[in-house]
Amino acid sequence: MSELTNTPEQEGSEPIIKVRGLHKYFGPLHVIRGVDLDVAPTEVVVIIGPSGGGKSTFLRCLNFLETPSAGSIEIDGVEIKAQEPAGEHHRHIREIRQKAGMVFQQFNLFPHMTALGNIIEAPSTVKGLSKKEAIAKAEELLEWVGLSDKRDEFPSRLSGGQQQRVAIARALCMEPKIMLFDEPTSALDPELIGEVVDVMERLANEGMTMIVVTHELHFAQDVADRVILMADGGWAETAPPSEFFTNPKEERTRQFLAHIL
Amino acid sequence: MMASPMDDSKARSSAAAVRLLLILVAITVVLSLLFALQYFLGSPIRLSVISEIYDLDLDPNTALVAVGADDGNIYLWDVPPQINTSPPPDFELAQETTWTRHVWTGHTAPVIAVTFAPDGSTLISVSQDGEIRIWDVASEQTRTSIAAGGPLVDADVSKDASSVAVLGQDGAIQIWDLATEKQIQSVAPDDEERLVVALNADGTQIAAGEGKNAQTWDVETGEPLQTLQGYWEDEEKEDWVGHEKVVTALQFSPDGQTLATGSADTTILFWDLESGKIVADSAGHWATVTTMVFNTEGKVLLTGGKDSKLRTLRLPGGRSTAIYEGHLATVYGAAFGLQSDTIFSGSADGTLRVWETANQKQVHIEWPKYGFQMAWGRTLALWMLVSGLLGAICLWGLWKRRIWSHLVAVGLYLLGPIVVLGLPLFEVISYPLSLGPKLQIAWPLLGLVAWYLVLLVALLREPVALYYEAPQAAPLSEQLVASQQTLKTRFGIFSLAVWIGVLVILYSVLRRFNLDIAFMGHYLRFIMAGSGLTMAVSAASIILAIILALLGALGRLSNNPIANGISSFYISLIRGTPLLVQIFIWYLGLPRLGIILQSVVAGILALGVNYGAYMTEIFRAGIQAIGKGQYEAAEALGMSRGQTFRRIVLPQAFRVVIPPIGNEFIAMMKDSSLVSIMSIWELTYRAQKIGRQNFRNLETFLIAAAFYWILTVMFQLLQGKLEEYMARSERR
Repeated sequence: MSELTNTPEQEGSEPIIKVRGLHKYFGPLHVIRGVDLDVAPTEVVVIIGPSGGGKSTFLRCLNFLETPSAGSIEIDGVEIKAQEPAGEHHRHIREIRQKAGMVFQQFNLFPHMTALGNIIEAPSTVKGLSKKEAIAKAEELLEWVGLSDKRDEFPSRLSGGQQQRVAIARALCMEPKIMLFDEPTSALDPELIGEVVDVMERLANEGMTMIVVTHELHFAQDVADRVILMADGGWAETAPPSEFFTNPKEERTRQFLAHIL
Repeated sequence: MMASPMDDSKARSSAAAVRLLLILVAITVVLSLLFALQYFLGSPIRLSVISEIYDLDLDPNTALVAVGADDGNIYLWDVPPQINTSPPPDFELAQETTWTRHVWTGHTAPVIAVTFAPDGSTLISVSQDGEIRIWDVASEQTRTSIAAGGPLVDADVSKDASSVAVLGQDGAIQIWDLATEKQIQSVAPDDEERLVVALNADGTQIAAGEGKNAQTWDVETGEPLQTLQGYWEDEEKEDWVGHEKVVTALQFSPDGQTLATGSADTTILFWDLESGKIVADSAGHWATVTTMVFNTEGKVLLTGGKDSKLRTLRLPGGRSTAIYEGHLATVYGAAFGLQSDTIFSGSADGTLRVWETANQKQVHIEWPKYGFQMAWGRTLALWMLVSGLLGAICLWGLWKRRIWSHLVAVGLYLLGPIVVLGLPLFEVISYPLSLGPKLQIAWPLLGLVAWYLVLLVALLREPVALYYEAPQAAPLSEQLVASQQTLKTRFGIFSLAVWIGVLVILYSVLRRFNLDIAFMGHYLRFIMAGSGLTMAVSAASIILAIILALLGALGRLSNNPIANGISSFYISLIRGTPLLVQIFIWYLGLPRLGIILQSVVAGILALGVNYGAYMTEIFRAGIQAIGKGQYEAAEALGMSRGQTFRRIVLPQAFRVVIPPIGNEFIAMMKDSSLVSIMSIWELTYRAQKIGRQNFRNLETFLIAAAFYWILTVMFQLLQGKLEEYMARSERR
């Protein structure tokens, strides 16, 4: 799996994601109120928090599915400021999107393509990979997520867990530097969550830089290097999981944990 | 589970019902096969069928009319004197009375020629097996019988009744003198096909068709006199005159100067026997000309054809003067009544009809024999054979308790009778007869209908149906599945039966329109040829419409005010005006801009632009049906907006819009009829053109309607397949 996580360990000190003063308004609604974040290569950051706290919006701002209102984002050396000339902006956005793979709560597989078709679509249209190369790579990834036998199935014939694993493989096939997970298990039946979490854990163990928005506290406890509680558009508390779950500093964190545990 | 007494009695009643069913089916099978067997072996129990009339003649005073029929009988009727008054009585009055009928039996093969002697004392008849009989009219007895040898294809008796010419199947012609009962001349067979032979009035010349030509001979010497064949009237103008198909009717004019020939090419030519040149020609029948007769002065020719019509032509010139419509099948015999005020005709539809020439109205109808059309007899026998054999297989299956046998039996005894019995029954209803004779014709079929109803009831009674629906000794779950399946299949059979039944009724109603079937047959292919253009115009238009609709939808969904404005204006304008008006504007407006387009192209533009506006909404809905998540997933993968639209959104949108586009296409195929106003030779224009030319609009539009229907049905099948293919990613 080394080809999936091509972030060399020795760069550890230099953050691969740098967010500075990020603001997001939806009309008059101030959803993200000036947050900063540095993520080191191979680090796994889990963001939890009450709904409406801006977690998803923050994640979607990172690859510009939402346009930030102010602030700057730098991913693997590509920096975008909120105010920038349009042409440059678009080029930077596409660069960032190729560096940041995203997995959605609703999987968002392309229903008119098979599992394999879903995975090879972007590499061949965006990266210009030959069909043969793309297929070879996709088959490797399918095997890695344990779905070799579902290669030619359409999404409608896959379970939610299988669909989400295909979606992860689809994102990985673009060889991203970082992976963004937007509540990847929230739409799944409880018995299907395990297979997806398992894949995410393996991905983390192989050194992928990940930002995960989730309610899956076990994942946060077992895998995360850092857990962030996001509430009211800002960081309420940032701590390693051991500290975060056993000895939170902030009252807000205690309230939240009491609420969901 | 224990069998309760209730179940027991149920089982007993079901066993009894099944036994009854088996007995009924067995009886049906045996009787059907017996009927078929005796029919094909030529035994006498037959469905009462009409006698097709092959020739007709009137005695010199029009007091007696004789017809030769295919059953070997000669039928004669006394013509009431009032028919010969001038003008003849009106239709209603004449129909009430039935004329006195005489049946002369003796011939053992169809009678192909009957002719009265000039004094009316004798009648000469010729049958297909080559027997010539001379009958004494007063005593109704055969005076003489001559065996000329057969089988014959045609025969003619000279007007003076002195001689008879017979044409054998081998093409040889013999001439017999009736006074001496001797063969006086013969003509050897020829390479060319001979279908007709004729004698002139005094029996001194004969004529025969030879392929597209005609040939005359001198009877006394047997020498050829004149070959009448097509020639270049004006070689430079490529003006060729003559028949293009085989000659099927011949008649000498009373003065012997002219020969009239009728042909399978539907035309009639008049030849001067001296010069061998064509002096007049005439077209007008829609099918092969089968019979011709001159009036006594030789100024009017009466013709009958396979189009079931009679026509009169005036000489010189050959101008068509009247058409007589009413017969249901080929007219084989015709004659002028006294003073040419009336016309008598006999046809393969088994009727003798009398017409008045002043208004071309039918004044009387007689039947040699009441019955069905000949073909129904054969059809019924064939049905008996097929249903007997299938029934035997069913019987075996029913006995072995097989589900399929029950379904096949329901199909067999439901669908078959609807067609085999329904069509002739409706036909009889349309006969111009009162209820009595109709019942007299139809009772055997009505009996059969009743019998099949009894069979169906026996088949579908609940105990029987339950007995066959559930497989023997199968688990309950399998029984339930099987009986569900049977119910579904039975539903299919019944709805098919309703379709067929409605079609039979529709067909019978159409027949009562008194449609000109021969005319329809004649122009069927011409109108059908338009379906290709209809399809092509519709296909091209729908492609244009899809492109416009896609652009329109993008415009409507666009944030760009120019694109949005243009597209909403286009939709508003086109949807706000009628298609017909738009077609006129395209047709009349473009040339004023100096743009001269082929009308087909203008038609495609008009249709495509119009449907594009309507389909814009369909595409818009289709594109909007694609969730936001799809765009986000594609964009998150780094795909550009164009790539996202082309690769992700459009394919999915197409699947959503395929069914509505199919509907639009079906609608368009029919709306394409509107471009007929641009003189585009598609179905409707052809139908209109031919209909107007011949005053047969109903006929031609019915043909066009049939082809539109066929086209849409075919397309619906295709669309179903396409949707199935497109939906393959949704199958679970």
